[in-house]
Amino acid sequence: MTQFKTKNGYDGLLIVIEGTDGSGKSTQLELLKKSIQAQSYGVMVSEWKTSRLIANVIDDAKERNLLNATTFSLLYAADFADRLENQIIPALKSGFIVLLDRYYYTALARDVVRGQDIEWVKNLYDYAPEPDLVFYLDMPVDVLLKRIIGTTGLNYYESGRDVGFSTDFYKSFEIYQNKCLEQYNNMKNEYNFKSIDGTKSIEDIHKIMNAEVQKILNSGVLD
Amino acid sequence: MAKLTEKHNYQGTLVCVEGIDGSGKSTQLELLRDWLKLIGQDVIFTEWNSSELISQTTKLAKKKNMLSPRTFSLLHAVDFADRLKQVIAPALKAGFIVLADRYAYTAFARDVARGVDPNWVREVYSFAIKPDLAIYFDIEPKEAMARICANRAPKFYEAGMDLKLSNDPYESYMIFQGRVTKEYKKMVKEFGLVRLDAMDSIHSKQVEIRQMLIDVLKSKGVNIDDTI
Repeated sequence: MTQFKTKNGYDGLLIVIEGTDGSGKSTQLELLKKSIQAQSYGVMVSEWKTSRLIANVIDDAKERNLLNATTFSLLYAADFADRLENQIIPALKSGFIVLLDRYYYTALARDVVRGQDIEWVKNLYDYAPEPDLVFYLDMPVDVLLKRIIGTTGLNYYESGRDVGFSTDFYKSFEIYQNKCLEQYNNMKNEYNFKSIDGTKSIEDIHKIMNAEVQKILNSGVLD
Repeated sequence: MAKLTEKHNYQGTLVCVEGIDGSGKSTQLELLRDWLKLIGQDVIFTEWNSSELISQTTKLAKKKNMLSPRTFSLLHAVDFADRLKQVIAPALKAGFIVLADRYAYTAFARDVARGVDPNWVREVYSFAIKPDLAIYFDIEPKEAMARICANRAPKFYEAGMDLKLSNDPYESYMIFQGRVTKEYKKMVKEFGLVRLDAMDSIHSKQVEIRQMLIDVLKSKGVNIDDTI
């Protein structure tokens, strides 16, 4: 035993990468996973909205425009609860390093932009363990826009079209993502985000993240 | 919790019935609905876990016994929110009498009996509209079990088998529904649920319920003729 403890008292580590759509989270998650695996640690990755139970319902409901702001929040909260209790916490208990693409900060940002009371949303997630590390990929909206238009294209919900900011896709995306960024900015201090300039090169960002993870690993907390 | 404790200002009237399965609440609500239709009132009916959005998923997940208490709670909240926003609230705005077979109190009773924090689940449902009349059909679990399990064993979630209270479904049912009943009894005071004795006759309960509704409607300026 060492004197070091993980933040939530589990044997494993909980590491989160947050950021808006197109900020490069998945790429970084993949790189981080490889570098941790290379050191013989057990790694598990879990992405937002992937519970077997609920993810399909969300996709289907979005497609058919069945969601209002409240059911939107609650469905994502149900997806999160299912993944947390069936995958994430069991993995943490057995000593895995769990890498998460998004955590409940995503819900806080999106739901508040959709008009939900922030305290109500916080309550939905108040049982979730505090991560050992939260990386936040900070990106200016104009760069995000170019990235998304150049890859997946603008999608209805990512553009916040359901909120009714504007019927113009580009305008709506700009307003929606700006409002999300504002929410993320408000969370930086409260949740101790390690904010990283998302416009840096993939390698540079990876080096920064890896160094932070290494600090924890070197402390012997998982040994 | 503002909305569940504050009177709503809609033109319509919201009535809900609560109680464990076998308490006779659905029968009473059906009788009430038929009568209201007969006397020409605009009435709609909505029941627990019936939204197009999620009810099938919840039923499937229940069948596979794969729900944690919190996921169970949130899925029912999705169902409730969907019906509240799409069915209940619009109907109340349009002046309907809305009859709900189970309401948020069902979640407060069942989820808390499953170990979910009472304040947490109340906050989850804080968007709910306070009913004009909420009736609780009080019944002892063993009486309810005698009624619903005359020809079948208690179902998995109904018996709270997910909580591993006992391997025997009948014994588990008694413990679990005992907890649910305890939560309901607390809510009589907390939310002003009107308690009816489920062991009273169908007729005497219906007479009481109609009178309560007539009084509620009168207080909202709606006079109905119940001479039919």
